[in-house]
Amino acid sequence: MDKKLTELVDKALSRRVFLAGSGAAAATLIAGCSSSPILSPTPTVTPTPTPTPNPYGQIDYLNFALNLEYLEAQFYLHAATGSGLSAADTGNSSATVTVPATTLVPGLTTAQKNYLYEIAQNELDHVRFLRSALGSSAVAMPAIDLMNSFNAAAAAAGIGPSFNPFASYEALLVGAFVFEDVGVTAYAGAISLLDRLYAGTAYVPAAASIMAVEAYHAAEIRTLLIADSVATATTTATMVTPNNTYVGYANKISALRATLGGGNETPLTPLPPYSLPFNPTTYTPASSIVACDPTTSVGYARTLDEVLHIVYATAGGAGVKSGGFFPSGLSGNITETLS
Amino acid sequence: MANLETQLLDEVIVRGRRKMLALGGAALASLAFGGVKVAEAASYTDSDILNFALNLEYLEAQFYTLATAGMTIDEVGIGIGAGTSATGGGTVATKPGGPGSCLVPWTIPAIQAYATETAQEERNHVTFLRSALGASAVAMPNLDLYNSFNTLASAAGIGAAFDPFAADADFLIGAYIFEDVGVTAYSGAVPLITTAAYVAAATGILAVEAYHAGLVRTSIFGLDPTGSLGLQGYTQMISATRMALDGSTTVDDIGVGFQTTSTEPAGTTLEAATIVDAQTGSPNYSKTYTRSTTQVLQIVTGNATPPASGKFKGVFFPNGLNGLFS
Repeated sequence: MDKKLTELVDKALSRRVFLAGSGAAAATLIAGCSSSPILSPTPTVTPTPTPTPNPYGQIDYLNFALNLEYLEAQFYLHAATGSGLSAADTGNSSATVTVPATTLVPGLTTAQKNYLYEIAQNELDHVRFLRSALGSSAVAMPAIDLMNSFNAAAAAAGIGPSFNPFASYEALLVGAFVFEDVGVTAYAGAISLLDRLYAGTAYVPAAASIMAVEAYHAAEIRTLLIADSVATATTTATMVTPNNTYVGYANKISALRATLGGGNETPLTPLPPYSLPFNPTTYTPASSIVACDPTTSVGYARTLDEVLHIVYATAGGAGVKSGGFFPSGLSGNITETLS
Repeated sequence: MANLETQLLDEVIVRGRRKMLALGGAALASLAFGGVKVAEAASYTDSDILNFALNLEYLEAQFYTLATAGMTIDEVGIGIGAGTSATGGGTVATKPGGPGSCLVPWTIPAIQAYATETAQEERNHVTFLRSALGASAVAMPNLDLYNSFNTLASAAGIGAAFDPFAADADFLIGAYIFEDVGVTAYSGAVPLITTAAYVAAATGILAVEAYHAGLVRTSIFGLDPTGSLGLQGYTQMISATRMALDGSTTVDDIGVGFQTTSTEPAGTTLEAATIVDAQTGSPNYSKTYTRSTTQVLQIVTGNATPPASGKFKGVFFPNGLNGLFS
């Protein structure tokens, strides 16, 4: 097997996940999805025998994704409307969402609202889709922190003592940046897990299409950060110098995520200054809207542990089960790091 | 109110759907049902799937490299021959001035930068897939990046001719033709692949195609935020044409524009963009679409009707694709 592909496989598969060692164990896993009304209850699984049992079923992976969608939906809905998910959409959870006193982002232009409202709707839809697919197996929303978490992340990243992602359009972009690339890598890792265990089911296409939407979002946010750097640039008669303040914040976040989440990051390259009148033949452009391996340009995938370390904002090691955006941990069975 | 352009478009759509429905079971079997893929050929291997993807990556890499460097990918050192051969591979039909005339006269630095980044990434995808396939890699078939755009623009009702290399905005529209299709193609391909490493690789490339699509659509919306410049309208015409070609009876392609979203609290409606190529709300719930290899072939060759025998040919692939899925 090509070495690069082997490396991809190692990255994508969690060390914890092994195929069922017997038909009986596989049958137990399959039976576990019988309460899922939308996704097929009869996947065709062909287990490859290995000695170690798989501790998770597809319900656990979907609930893991649901936790992340709860987080994103709460963030974007608060930014867009000033309030979050309805009780019905959280599973009538009594868990708290910790946010600043004001979350409705001020001063947005029409176009900026257009962008925000679409992403908020997408994330709300993902919550609803996963809850509908999981049926009675859907976990309720855990406690979510969108205030202390950002302050701590800003301090850890070297941005400053605090950071409020609801304060302005640019702050919103940085806040969104915190989530989107992670969502892509989380789903990418999950797809490899789901495909290996549940090939032929509807889980893989569903996860692939949600991952694609997260990637649309990630590119959108990164593109808007660069566009904003140009819109707020310092312009003289002969030179345009983009204002990279918020691109810089995003890159500090990216560096922090790389530390917590095993690398898997592409910093956002600032647009180089350009002369006026603009001459494309003498300009050396630079750009990295896409987060991907620099040699193969294949997107990154993260393990469950790597994602947990990031969202718990706690460095590597086993036994991490709360922190960061989830002060009481995720809901469900995938809640604690094993490495 | 109908005009000549919308009448032509209506005719394309109706003609396409009638022919699709008349073909019966064999053709319908190649369509996606509820996201679960139906096997498309009697038997195929992972290599066949990767080679299908390679054909599309050759096309995208050529488009972006011509736009940013005025050269074809082989001229910048990317292999296009069969297997690991240093020779072979098809030609690229370009506008009369040749590859050099395809260099876009950029006026927006950010767009030049995005295009340059994307060109490198698509070339990397070609190299990566060729490396993974080794001796099994198909050569690049003959491509057309000149007549193809004119044909598609005419079918879409944009105009008699279209040159995506003319300026920044035209380039974005040209890129728009490819990227969402790439997302739906890889979405369809991932569940068909059996080797774990190839699933991971295809998933990673799917993510990148979606980044590209998001980047292009955000850039188009940014240049034309109210739609008054007509760019949004072009994307909607292109999306409609793709749907007419792929025979889908449900929506599987939406242009860049606006939508009214119904969010929380209950009763709230907000005017949102359509940067993501996915319908919000029930029943789709903001998930991107999936196309079968046949549907992708219908789009990239401009044939709503699968050929009675032989290959899909036309538009971007004047002599068809190389490999099993053609």
